[in-house]
Amino acid sequence: MADLNLIIAGVGGQGSILASHIVATAAIRDGLRARVGETFGAAMRGGAVASHVRIGKEIHAPLVPKDGAEIVLALEPLEGLRNIANFLGKGGLLLTNTRPWLPVDVNIGRAEYPSMESIKDAIDKLGGKIVEIDATSLAQQAGNVRTMNIVMLGALAATGKLPISVETLKQVIKENVPPKTIDVNLRAFELGLSSMKK
Amino acid sequence: MAKIADLIVEDAPGKRVLLMGNEAIARGAIEAGVGVAASYPGTPASEILETLALAAPKLGFHAEWSTNEKVAFEVAAGAAITGARAITSMKNAGLNWVMDMLMTLVYGGVRGGFVIAVADDPDAHYSSNEQDTRFAAFYGEIPCLEPSNSQEAKDMTCYAFELSEQLELPVFVRSVTRISHASGDVELGKIQKLDRKPVFDKHWKLPWRWNVYGPPGAVEKHRWLHDQMPKIKKLVETLPWNKLELGKTPSCGIIASGIGASYARDAIKMLGLEGKVAFLKLGTPAPIPERLIGRLLKAVKSVLVVEEGEPVVELQVKALAKDVNPEVKILGRLTGTMPAVGEINTDIAAQAIAKLTKRKLPQDVQREQAQAEIKKLVAPRSSTLCAGCPHLGSYWALKQALRKVGGKVPLVNGDIGCYEQGGYGIAGKEYKPSFSTESVRYPIEAPYETLDTNYIMGGGVGLMQGQFHAGYKDGVMVGVAGDSTFFHACIPAVINAVYNKARGLFLVMDNTWTAMTGHQPNPVTGITATGEATKVLSIEEVAKACGVEFIKVVDPYDLKATTAAIEEALKSDKFAIVVARHVCTLQAQRQKKFVGKRMVFDRDKCTGCKICVSFGCPGVVFKEGKAGLDPILCNGCGMCAQVCPTGAIRAEG
Ligand SMILES: Cc1ncc(C[n+]2csc(CCOP(=O)(O)OP(=O)(O)O)c2C)c(N)n1
Repeated sequence: MADLNLIIAGVGGQGSILASHIVATAAIRDGLRARVGETFGAAMRGGAVASHVRIGKEIHAPLVPKDGAEIVLALEPLEGLRNIANFLGKGGLLLTNTRPWLPVDVNIGRAEYPSMESIKDAIDKLGGKIVEIDATSLAQQAGNVRTMNIVMLGALAATGKLPISVETLKQVIKENVPPKTIDVNLRAFELGLSSMKK
Repeated sequence: MAKIADLIVEDAPGKRVLLMGNEAIARGAIEAGVGVAASYPGTPASEILETLALAAPKLGFHAEWSTNEKVAFEVAAGAAITGARAITSMKNAGLNWVMDMLMTLVYGGVRGGFVIAVADDPDAHYSSNEQDTRFAAFYGEIPCLEPSNSQEAKDMTCYAFELSEQLELPVFVRSVTRISHASGDVELGKIQKLDRKPVFDKHWKLPWRWNVYGPPGAVEKHRWLHDQMPKIKKLVETLPWNKLELGKTPSCGIIASGIGASYARDAIKMLGLEGKVAFLKLGTPAPIPERLIGRLLKAVKSVLVVEEGEPVVELQVKALAKDVNPEVKILGRLTGTMPAVGEINTDIAAQAIAKLTKRKLPQDVQREQAQAEIKKLVAPRSSTLCAGCPHLGSYWALKQALRKVGGKVPLVNGDIGCYEQGGYGIAGKEYKPSFSTESVRYPIEAPYETLDTNYIMGGGVGLMQGQFHAGYKDGVMVGVAGDSTFFHACIPAVINAVYNKARGLFLVMDNTWTAMTGHQPNPVTGITATGEATKVLSIEEVAKACGVEFIKVVDPYDLKATTAAIEEALKSDKFAIVVARHVCTLQAQRQKKFVGKRMVFDRDKCTGCKICVSFGCPGVVFKEGKAGLDPILCNGCGMCAQVCPTGAIRAEG
């Protein structure tokens, strides 16, 4: 399988870093090399964050080149849009949560939040595909909103584009979430996985 | 996650794991049998000591968060003088605090290996500048190793201790954001157990080794230092991180140092140039392997230097070319082939390599236009303080007090910490330069527009004094700082204010953690780096001991009381300190100590005045002409209810 470039985008506090580390750790466990380039701000919540995940045999830099991502996994729609503009390659996939997290700039009326329609339109122009998931609701259904990132990982696994087995992913999730939350996280993963099969 | 805590001490040579660059540096020190590790937090370097602190109790070495980088450096240097292996780590700016000691320590060097790990931050993602640590290696006449990925970060750090002991000098490991905050697969090595007994000999190999003033004095010690680096000239030619792939008679070559090598490798592959250009991967920008580079310079007509930061390698290559092949063309930052400022990446390297090899990169004009259109739709996301952050309360109170008693143009000097966001501005807003000859007051639409000056840790309270002594009369003068910053850099400035009779308000926002860099403990937290209980210092007691006469302690969640205290301080004719103390909301939530109220929002009562929005909390949203609370972000701190003039927001019960 060829190298895979994936970007996990979101807002600080949504868990994009954990999600990217789970994917990379699972890749290493399945015998591949991995790189994760993180742009995480300070400890504060609310900034735009993106993790670049690269998996394969011949990879060096931790950042995905321009137009180089096969998949953008967006934990928040605006952050999806921000990252596809630069990084989504031709035929790439935007897998996005549908729940917006409004930036202050929008709240104080200094900027406008893009509609879902305009995001779909952008994907069309880039020759990509889009899949929307109400991952926040699914996470609530799993028992904890904070598992939204794991719901999205489930959805990502369902695309079949990851060169990693679902079993390895689940195992790494178990090892990387707080022990008391293993069950909700695995539920969240399954909900994400099955949401794509509908 | 207890995972990294276990993994980092696992003695499993050959095991492949995912490590962040900073974790890899820590692991390198652990494999080298480090005895003392000291640091002060700073992004993107903090995880080095955080990781070492997880391992320290298990392996029995010392790890600490010191009060600032200089102290940390001295703690580590002191250990190395007694023969222990020691590491200090810091962000780029931390090195500035360290320079005084560094420039003098090198005159006698060290006995145990001493590694100085510095994480630079090209593009200033988390910093106030883009300074390049590698220059300091020349200034201090010590070696500098520069990894290109996590594996090298570990291996080089481990080796740096050995090199340090061989030269009896400290050694730099220079990281950058894309190493420190990137992760990669790493094969673990063996953990050495050094049972070294600390020893001291004041004339070890050189008389008065550890005392620059002792005979034969500083000049002779400088001579000793000067003679050290030539000793490893040959050695660097054979280090595994310096490698020349000459290929078959290529006309172009690339010299790529540190992370630059990773970008260049990906770019070469992207351009299909594998094997068609000569490639010299460099891991030691100081000293460079002159023979290896010389071989390349003689073999090709032009060479591109790919490095992150200033043209440190490029300048040296140019100087070398003059001797070995003056005909060869050297491309890089100095020729404009690589950008002069900012961070590089694979695309930038590819463009430069295309120029070097006189090739055209494929272009898709239509796609670029589409991307430009899409970018216009992307709303900015200004970074904000967290929902319920106590700094929001402090800024609100400061704004109210300044409105009442601040004068025409009050001056607020910022400092470094989460509260520095008080000067980030609003991304969606355009700020134009002004050419007024008079003081100008600008409205504060959100707390993010509060800070008028901001540079470095401890800078604000000093600047304020200069403004006062210059005779600034158009408004009051304020300095703000956090608890960690207070101990790091503000105490001498506080004493100075008292001693030299400056006036003004120093607002200390004490959230009991060094929050911005990821919640490290500091002298007001009550625990050490390894989680041991320790004494809790009090900022007001320290201020009192420094001679400050006006001191008030308030809870910034109580907006009225905080406003009143600030007002009173501003009206006082003394240098005044207000300590706004409330534990960081994020940390309180994590430790399950946060008790939020259930907030209710009454849409009918909301007049859409946006006062709550201007409070700046990300938990307050505004849609269709009315405010609201984001149920996921709001944690019920209750501050917005205090600012709402119509009672539309209130706490239940
Ligand atoms: C010389 C230097 N060292 C370290 C840093 C990194 N740094 C940025 S913010 C900060 C934390 C300051 O903590 P505190 O003053 O308590 O404010 P808080 O973030 O908790 O609000 C640090 C250490 C820096 N910018 N400069």
